[in-house]
Amino acid sequence: MSAVQDTVFGIIAKEAGIDIATIKPDSTLKDLNIQSLDAVQIIFEIEDHYKITLPDRDPNFDTESVKGLIDAVERLVAEKAATPSAG
Amino acid sequence: MREGRVGIGPIENIPTELLNVKIAAEVRGFDPATHFDAKRLPLLDRVSQFALVAAREAVAQSGLEFKASGLGERTACIVGTGIGGENSHNEQSRRFFGDKNPRLHPLTILRVMANAPACHIGIEFGLRGPAFAVSSACASANHAMSQAFDMVRSGRVAVAVTGGTEACVTETTMKAWEAMRVIADDTCRPFCKQRRGMVLGEGAGIFVLEEWEHAKARGASILAEFAGSGATADAIDMVFPAEATVARAIELALIDAGLNPADVDYINAHGTGTPANDPTESKAIRRVFGAQADKIAVSSTKSMHGHALGAAGAIELVAAIGSLRDGVIAPTANFIDPDPECDLDYVPNTAREKPVRAALSNSFAFGGLNAVVALKRAD
Repeated sequence: MSAVQDTVFGIIAKEAGIDIATIKPDSTLKDLNIQSLDAVQIIFEIEDHYKITLPDRDPNFDTESVKGLIDAVERLVAEKAATPSAG
Repeated sequence: MREGRVGIGPIENIPTELLNVKIAAEVRGFDPATHFDAKRLPLLDRVSQFALVAAREAVAQSGLEFKASGLGERTACIVGTGIGGENSHNEQSRRFFGDKNPRLHPLTILRVMANAPACHIGIEFGLRGPAFAVSSACASANHAMSQAFDMVRSGRVAVAVTGGTEACVTETTMKAWEAMRVIADDTCRPFCKQRRGMVLGEGAGIFVLEEWEHAKARGASILAEFAGSGATADAIDMVFPAEATVARAIELALIDAGLNPADVDYINAHGTGTPANDPTESKAIRRVFGAQADKIAVSSTKSMHGHALGAAGAIELVAAIGSLRDGVIAPTANFIDPDPECDLDYVPNTAREKPVRAALSNSFAFGGLNAVVALKRAD
């Protein structure tokens, strides 16, 4: 389990009020029964934690897996590290 | 609106460097100094400025004089706003938190309070009946006008000056809406497959509601009859609308107005252009009107004037009145392809000439609040 996965799982569990053990990388937000208001709060907490900006509108917001979200965060964190002046 | 002109465009009045979404339907070229003297301006947030300018137009058009006649004693002033003096709140917060300046403007409280617009209108015209703000987010104006209508109908007052006002295109409000991920970055396309959300707007709509016989007796030019209203609360979810209670608000408005479903020729929809609203509203209309729904023109003028939150219902009432008075239905602009989930006649892109006997105007708010008003043609 990567550090990003740990953090993202933790944020999802806290914001959605669910047991962290129920979250799997291939879970979708729908599987986890996460409502839209919880979803935007999860995105906000992730963005604020890493000081990154996730795509403003993700067409797969409801269907994309937690793994997809973690990949996007890892990519943005890596991009940010490569350009230290940004963010 | 009948020309289908879209007021949505690049934001001009505030800095946009920190915004991801840089469009809104702003009131452009508005110079407060041409409307208010320098002594009065420090008391007026933009939200009150809009309300006063609209109220002056409405009162002038009504031909009523409130002060010398004593009519002001029997006139209510009820104005909706979702946020209130947001620009002043922003300015003073920046001064305190940003500039670390501990000295705030002494009129901040008077500018920010949500009842300020109603009070300024009351002072300007000498309205001494009940006066207050109504705040229910995006349903504020419809709730305010319904409240004013009840007061006139019950005989508590002879006249009510009412409507809604909002000046919400500020940097922090824009950022807060961005964070909710419900605003579009291209334009507002209600009921359309390619819709990407709502676009913020601002402005005010103010009306003079006058008891029918009172207006007739003085030979007033009556724009329309405010016939009834209906309101419900979903009591389920803060954001996701509930079809059954939305439909119930529409039914209650018809009952209150003494209208049959077959009497309604136009509905000015809430039509925000969000994924959640448009199908739910369409299904609710279908639920109330059944097959009759296919004969009703339904348009969302938010495609042109944006979503002015607490002023929305008042600005949209102008489109409803226009349909009754002129027989012209303002279109849903920016329409590309229909969404299969939305199966009504949305009057895409071009205004339509059609005699309208009765019209409804829908407003639904975050918090699950639904307020519908019903108008009849004045003839």
